[in-house]
Amino acid sequence: MTSPRHRLDSADWFGKTAAGLVLGFSLALAVSGLCAWLTPGGIAGGNGKIQFVMWLIAPLWAGVLCFVFLFRDSRRAWCWLAVANLLAFGLLAGVRGLLG
Amino acid sequence: MKIRNDVIKVYKDVHIWVGILSGLMLFIAFYAGAITMFEKPLERWATPPSSLAAPPPLAGAEVLLQAVLAEHPQAAKNYLIVVEPTVDAPARVIWREPGKSRRQFTEFGASFADDGSLQVEQLRKAPVAQLVDTLHQLVGLPFPDALARPIMGAVALLYAVALVSGLIIFLPTLAKDLLAMRIGHNIKRLWMDVHNALGVVSLPFHVVMALTCVVFAFHDEFYDVQGAVVYEQGVPWQRETPPGPPTPDARPLPAVELLRLAHVQQPGFEVFNFSFKQAGGQLEASITGLDTRYGTRARTYASTHLNPYTGEIDPHDLPGQMEPWDAAVNTFFMLHFGSFGGNPVRWLYLLLGLAGALLFYTGNLLWIESRRRKQRADGVPEQTRSARVLGSLTVGVSLGCVVGISATLAATKWLPQRVDNLAAWHEGIYYAVFVAAVAWAFVRGAPRAAVELLRLAALATLLIPLSSLAGVWGIGGAWHHPGMGFIVDLTALAAVPVFLAIAAYTRRRMCAGHTDSVWAQPASSQPLPPSGRGPASACQE
Repeated sequence: MTSPRHRLDSADWFGKTAAGLVLGFSLALAVSGLCAWLTPGGIAGGNGKIQFVMWLIAPLWAGVLCFVFLFRDSRRAWCWLAVANLLAFGLLAGVRGLLG
Repeated sequence: MKIRNDVIKVYKDVHIWVGILSGLMLFIAFYAGAITMFEKPLERWATPPSSLAAPPPLAGAEVLLQAVLAEHPQAAKNYLIVVEPTVDAPARVIWREPGKSRRQFTEFGASFADDGSLQVEQLRKAPVAQLVDTLHQLVGLPFPDALARPIMGAVALLYAVALVSGLIIFLPTLAKDLLAMRIGHNIKRLWMDVHNALGVVSLPFHVVMALTCVVFAFHDEFYDVQGAVVYEQGVPWQRETPPGPPTPDARPLPAVELLRLAHVQQPGFEVFNFSFKQAGGQLEASITGLDTRYGTRARTYASTHLNPYTGEIDPHDLPGQMEPWDAAVNTFFMLHFGSFGGNPVRWLYLLLGLAGALLFYTGNLLWIESRRRKQRADGVPEQTRSARVLGSLTVGVSLGCVVGISATLAATKWLPQRVDNLAAWHEGIYYAVFVAAVAWAFVRGAPRAAVELLRLAALATLLIPLSSLAGVWGIGGAWHHPGMGFIVDLTALAAVPVFLAIAAYTRRRMCAGHTDSVWAQPASSQPLPPSGRGPASACQE
């Protein structure tokens, strides 16, 4: 608690950006998949819903990419985003198993 | 709002880098996009008059169609019956023959000559408006779509990051600085105020543009991975089967009757045309038009299936009558295209687009100002090379795009009489001017090139209404359509004094502004000014 607070810097920008691009995209993909299964209409929600679910990737992906620089370093960015990915894809697999 | 200093610092770095990487491409996308708001009027303005005789009345469309099909049976595969022929669709019956690629086709129009014989003309829809649109879509890159589109997508992602990072930097002082315009000695402060005000006020517009562009660039890839990961067996698109004839010997209704039934079913929907496809002995039809009360995902029209045998319209593709998911997606497109609310919204989007271009331009100016080596007691320091390079690049690319578009538009009414491949010529003119402008900016240095290119932009833009004027007098094969086309000319005319005013302002800064700036007259040709501000050869005109 008494340790001096870590100061954020830009040194690790490449690793963070790469994490945001790669794991941000896969996370967006998994979350869009959850929306496809769990929102009204379900997985067979029709052509309009298919398009809407595809559109979801853009704000999710861009959102992760925008805030990935808040991680203290690129290792933490990769690790936390990997955990989030595991969770999201785990949920997606579960949902597909239950509803598919 | 309080944000930690180190967070602000990191996002400042992010903002600067994404801005430098994407700013100039975004300038082109926004300037060309602003013009593309009026792509249709521009296309009509740019299309040469048709040589066809006046179209027969709508009631005579079927007679004309039979005459066309007798001589050109391939027309049955894909033809239109036009309700209100316009300059860009100047015939009652138009058909399309497939071209080199899937989306390309050649259009032919037909009419009856005075002696009753069939007249056929390959339609000459002007390609110049499409060129400006393509520049907009591919952020000005002269590469094939397959290469330029992913680059555009990357630029869109950078742009999204630029918006969020810019907002984070500005949030702590937002309450104090928003709409503050500190006009005075500190030029950097002034540009910063302009940049911030533009960015914050038009932020929702920019968020829409950034996110929609990510989708426009990558939708195929998004569908592919979702087909593999989200859905059971690929993306489950539902294929709509068109309704067949109610009885085997039913005949398609004539266009006049289709139009009457359309008005009954969809009051307020202005019908542009009916299109037909003959497939397997059965006729498929759709109806295209616009109800200006609703925004639409196709930029200038809405289209849906129509049963040609009964006249029944399938309303579920029409804005205002869609299912919720479809309506949401329709809204995303509509917000990008500004295709709602009619012309007032189009003009508003045009202004927002120009403001966006200015946002990116001022971003680059700020980068340069931040790196300015200030004057000290021992004289005027040399500016950094990077600042000079970015100055030249900013001036050359931005004004090269502006002059290039004006030049290629000014050539529109002279080319059809003289050359065959119009699209290649328009593209050639644009890129020749663009490349020359960038080269010129490096040869002359940013300040002088800016003044000269702005004057050139004024001249090239003035040539646009002059070409229409030549058309009024019938000089050199130019033309002028009656109707609202003159607004294109008026808009160009209004831009001329604007370019000249910016040129005058830039020249003032070059001659009388700080000498310790990339915007000052280059030192080599300049006697050392006694006061730190001074006259120079190019300024004594």
